[in-house]
Amino acid sequence: MHEIGVREVVQFLGFTFNWETLKMTWLAMAIVILIAYFATRRLSLVPTGTQLFIEAIIEFLHEQIGNTMGKRGMFYAPLIVTLFLFILVSNLIGLIPTLASPTNDLNTTLGLALMVVCLVHFLGLYYKGGHYIAHFFQPFKVFFFINLVDEIAKPITLSFRLFGNILAGEILIIILLQLAQWWIIPSVAWLAFSIFVGVVQALIFTMLTMAYLGSSVKDDHE
Amino acid sequence: MIDINSTLIAQILNFLILVAILRAVAYKPIVKVMQARSKKIQESIDQADMDRRSAENLLAENKAKLAAAGKKADEIIEKAEKEASVLREERIEATKREIEQMKKAAAEEIERDRLKMQENLKSEVVALSMAAAGKIIEKNLSEKDNEGIIKSFIDKLDEKKLGDL
Repeated sequence: MHEIGVREVVQFLGFTFNWETLKMTWLAMAIVILIAYFATRRLSLVPTGTQLFIEAIIEFLHEQIGNTMGKRGMFYAPLIVTLFLFILVSNLIGLIPTLASPTNDLNTTLGLALMVVCLVHFLGLYYKGGHYIAHFFQPFKVFFFINLVDEIAKPITLSFRLFGNILAGEILIIILLQLAQWWIIPSVAWLAFSIFVGVVQALIFTMLTMAYLGSSVKDDHE
Repeated sequence: MIDINSTLIAQILNFLILVAILRAVAYKPIVKVMQARSKKIQESIDQADMDRRSAENLLAENKAKLAAAGKKADEIIEKAEKEASVLREERIEATKREIEQMKKAAAEEIERDRLKMQENLKSEVVALSMAAAGKIIEKNLSEKDNEGIIKSFIDKLDEKKLGDL
């Protein structure tokens, strides 16, 4: 990003794409796949190295899924695990100079959030049918509008939270470097904090996704 | 800065592709391994439980066997002692009998020797008396009288003296 907020745009088959975002997304995907490759290269009953790291993440997410989504949720575990790893890697590669986070583009975050919300409604209808539609009118019919706002707010909050945090972090890295080139401590401190923010934002996005999916996937009698 | 364009769709597709790849390449094998591990751990725990239980059984069995063996040994010792005492009694009895027999034999022999000696003495005394009496009353008495005197003498001798021999 030479000028903050200005994006390099390419045209392809009449569609407009943010070229840098796509490049960085593919880079993040490649890194995630590479991690997965290293984790599964020598699978053993006694895990070491990368396998241990990935297993710890899967184990943690499985527990969360079990709590929020119940038994049915286990089917969506690959989605959740991928979501976490992808957002985590996306957030962190933005901290490397000359690279940028795919998540600093609202297209990415809103895309993921819309996908999650669509999945929530689709799975809600699939698992609960009319009962799912009825719950929008609870406890009174008038509450439909409030529930509607709630549902619309979900993807917006989900996407803008991640987008805002990551973009603000990257902007601040650039600004701190330009403001105080002779004094790098604030810049380094902010970089360290950005790592923390990146992990936390990935976790928040994943946890909220689980909670939203849980409301439509989890068996009521469970 | 927040211009929405086709990138949004592309990102969703990118993400879904990533999900598909990771699910096939990494997630399934890892979960398989994790399940295999937890299964193995469960089996190991079960196996250990079973081993411990069988070991306890074996210990109890061995203890019982040991106790039985000790009891049997006691019985054997007791029996042997009883047999030994019976044998000892028999031996003592036999020895006593033997001693008794030996005593009896010795007494008989002594008696025999005494009688024999008495016989010898008698004949010697007879010979001596005959000689003595012959010299004293050679001429006075007939042979018949002689024999009567000697016989009475010997009978007296028998009663008074020989008993002390």
